[in-house]
Amino acid sequence: MNVLIPYSWIKDYIKTNAKAENVAKALSLHAFSVEKINKIKGDDVFEVEVTPNRGDALSVLGVARELKAVLPKSGFKCEWMQKDIKIPQFEDKDKLDVIIKDKSLVPRFCAVVLENVKVGKSPKVIEERLEKVGIRALGNVIDVTNYMMIDKGQPMHAFDYDKILGHKMIVRESKHDEVITTLDGVERKLPSGVIVIEDGEGRLIDLCGIMGAKNSEVDENTNKVLLFVQVYDPVRIRRASMSLGHRTDAALRFEKGIDYEGVLSSLFEASEMICGLSGSNVSSNLIDIVNEERKLKSVAVDYEKINRIAGVEISKEVVNQTLSDLGFESNGESVVVPSWRYDDVSITEDLAEEVIRLYGYYNLPGKLLTGEVPLVHKDLSFHWEDIARLFLKHHGFFECYSYSATSKKNVSKDALKIANPLNEDLLFLKTSLLPQLLEVIDGNKGYSDKIKLFELASVYHSKEGDLPNQPLMLGLVTKGINKVDLKGIVEALFDEMGVSSYPSFNVINHGGGRLGVEINFEELIKLSSKVKTYTPLTSFNSIKEDLTFEVPEGITYQQVERIILCSSERISKLEFKDIYKNALTFSIEYLDKEKQISSEDTQEIRKNIFKNLENIGVRLR
Amino acid sequence: MNDSLNLENIKKELEEKLRKVSSEQDLLNIQIEYFGKKGILRQLFSKVLEVPVEQRKDLGEKINNLKKEAERVTSERRAKITGVEAVENTGLYDSLPGRKPEIGHIHIISQAINEIVDIFKPLGFTRVRYPEVEWEYYAFEALNMPLTHPARDEWETFFIDAAPDKKYGRMVVTPHTSSGQVREMLKGNLPIRMLNISRCGRRQIDISHVPSFYQFEGLVVDKEISTTHLKGVLDYFASNFFGEDRKTRLRPYHFRFTEPSFEVDIDCGICHGKGCKLCKEGWLELGGAGMVHPNVLKAGGIDSKEYTGFAFGWGVERTYMMKSGTKIDDIRYLFGNDLRFLEQF
Repeated sequence: MNVLIPYSWIKDYIKTNAKAENVAKALSLHAFSVEKINKIKGDDVFEVEVTPNRGDALSVLGVARELKAVLPKSGFKCEWMQKDIKIPQFEDKDKLDVIIKDKSLVPRFCAVVLENVKVGKSPKVIEERLEKVGIRALGNVIDVTNYMMIDKGQPMHAFDYDKILGHKMIVRESKHDEVITTLDGVERKLPSGVIVIEDGEGRLIDLCGIMGAKNSEVDENTNKVLLFVQVYDPVRIRRASMSLGHRTDAALRFEKGIDYEGVLSSLFEASEMICGLSGSNVSSNLIDIVNEERKLKSVAVDYEKINRIAGVEISKEVVNQTLSDLGFESNGESVVVPSWRYDDVSITEDLAEEVIRLYGYYNLPGKLLTGEVPLVHKDLSFHWEDIARLFLKHHGFFECYSYSATSKKNVSKDALKIANPLNEDLLFLKTSLLPQLLEVIDGNKGYSDKIKLFELASVYHSKEGDLPNQPLMLGLVTKGINKVDLKGIVEALFDEMGVSSYPSFNVINHGGGRLGVEINFEELIKLSSKVKTYTPLTSFNSIKEDLTFEVPEGITYQQVERIILCSSERISKLEFKDIYKNALTFSIEYLDKEKQISSEDTQEIRKNIFKNLENIGVRLR
Repeated sequence: MNDSLNLENIKKELEEKLRKVSSEQDLLNIQIEYFGKKGILRQLFSKVLEVPVEQRKDLGEKINNLKKEAERVTSERRAKITGVEAVENTGLYDSLPGRKPEIGHIHIISQAINEIVDIFKPLGFTRVRYPEVEWEYYAFEALNMPLTHPARDEWETFFIDAAPDKKYGRMVVTPHTSSGQVREMLKGNLPIRMLNISRCGRRQIDISHVPSFYQFEGLVVDKEISTTHLKGVLDYFASNFFGEDRKTRLRPYHFRFTEPSFEVDIDCGICHGKGCKLCKEGWLELGGAGMVHPNVLKAGGIDSKEYTGFAFGWGVERTYMMKSGTKIDDIRYLFGNDLRFLEQF
């Protein structure tokens, strides 16, 4: 998540000689990537990409805390400017009756009532700061809550105290289809399990952690404000905000975890600010309900392990200093994790990350691997894939890559359906490579009269109660090529892959001169062989000739071929050469391994062939 | 007329003989038979004297035509057998460009994958593949990302509309090759130097994202593996893939399945780290990497006290597009299958 942090605002917390560019670089190299520095009204506003584990840094305070540790590592001065927090004067006048149905909903619940509030515009400084981070000023009370969210990373909410009927709050989970109208005027129907607050009259007055309700909002007539600062269950907030499709700044922060210990100081600072800006004063006791105690969390510092992970020697002193700069308090052999990093740091590896990133990953040298090279069983399918690719390329084929998903018309019944597709055209996972390749042919109509395409990719067939069958397939689609030539290419590929007995395959005519073949490549690999066995050469010459036969209707090539081959053992090679109408031409080679074959011998063999073929009505042409 | 019939037959016979010829030697024999000193054609010419004077001119002409025709078919056949073409203007012929065979094209993604494999192979990495439609468990839980974790948002995952498995959760189109990490570990062979290159899917489509794409994932698990090894391997890759003078830089990042986690930058090929229009302060982002998180090792049945490891997983297309010279400015071309695009690789 990216946050906008004005440099001038950071300077509330630190005093440094670093320029904005220096700050950006130091942050990028040691903490978070600064994507951009926006120049707004003479200020440098950093756009910082904060990683999801660092909810604590979605604030000016959080970024300043990092800079305190990081800037000195880059050679800049950085002094922390401690702010004093005044504890307000509480008064036992206005009360709030709070019922929390399930303690896990709200681990910490804090609030205070302010009276004599005069709602008006905020001072220019506050309006400008909010504007720089992209928030519209909406009047002093609301502005303070927004200001504190950016400043401390703690989202807060202000209710009109008198609109909370019965001055009573029931914190509970929503029931299915309950309705709430939020501050933005949108009526939202809730799923069950969303954290909400009901007032004394049974009205929903807050969509907790996401957005307040319209019926309890602060307006120009508000006299009393309930300032509300909470820690909610991050999982429920996330689920609700996602299912409602309402990802507010507050929700994005709550779901990443809130600093427990920062809650009260944020509340105190906010109430002081509101009192100062609106002439109000605190009129209640502090309401602070702690539903989930957090014990101090200690992590052992394993110096040796830190060095082992780094691969360089980092001294104990540097490790200790770095951790202390980041707010980890030393406790002998272990450190206490600061409250704002509570969820993020648990094990030595986490500490190692802190230490090494401050040391500077860019300072680490590179070493190549030593140690034993693993002995593994190599997956030969990659080899055969390459053989096939090269072969097909050299026979004029273009390799295509298509999306895994396609439309309904392109798949068979056992296709897997995507639950959250990008669009209707990408609703199912493909069950065959051919439909998309045919679309490629159609999409490239003007390219050439002759097009040859192939793709090597998986298809997906659902399987009951398990992952789908996802075999690697080879798909070939051509235009302007005759069937015999396409078959020939496939069979030549089989030869190239050392397949001795061809698997059966179908050339399908898709109309418009388009042919397609699809072969299970995994099965083909099982038939392939890298082994080449040599047959001893003879010193005798063979005799070659072409024979053309007239083949009547109903006779297949295989029949003719078998009869010829059975006619003599001295036929060493028989190949299909040509076909014209009913005239089938073979290339035939005669060889005798014992002696030189003569034309008299071939004459005799030929006679035999003719005689045998006569039986099925095949005659020499 | 008898003679003309005879001449026609001679031509037919010649053509038939030529058709059966399959070697240059056979062809030579035929040439001697027809065009030799005692050849059939010579003998025909001698017959001219045997016919009446008034017919001689006509017959002579006919025999001449036959001879020309015979020469033409013979030289055509010769051209077919020997590959030398029949041309009259040899100067023109010699100046012709070569006639190229029809050659297709291997897709740029395949080429990129082969290049990547070739770089990692000498370092002892072995290429593997794992399911493209995968259990949520291997894509997330096993990688230290529990069901409710917001980190999962970073992967715009496609889910399959099917009943979830009790143990492994829903089926997904694997959003990254990291789903192969724990599968590789569970094979039980140590040490590991894995290169997993596979098709992935994410719910995104724009100038730099497509719903199907390829990633390559390196995983090393061994004793005494440190961040410096990761750095060394990445530098080795960068200098081999991008050019000898190129360098990588690690920056902090966060992934649930690595600790520490890094973002890897490569110095800009144009300005070499000084900063220019094309890059961010002289560096370009390559992708993520990190030291394997102990919880991931644990899910893979490996004792993290004894073994450590590193991993990186980057987009094949993205990485290849960053290579100077390809100049592809929209990743969608790669899956568009426009032949005018494909023929350029």
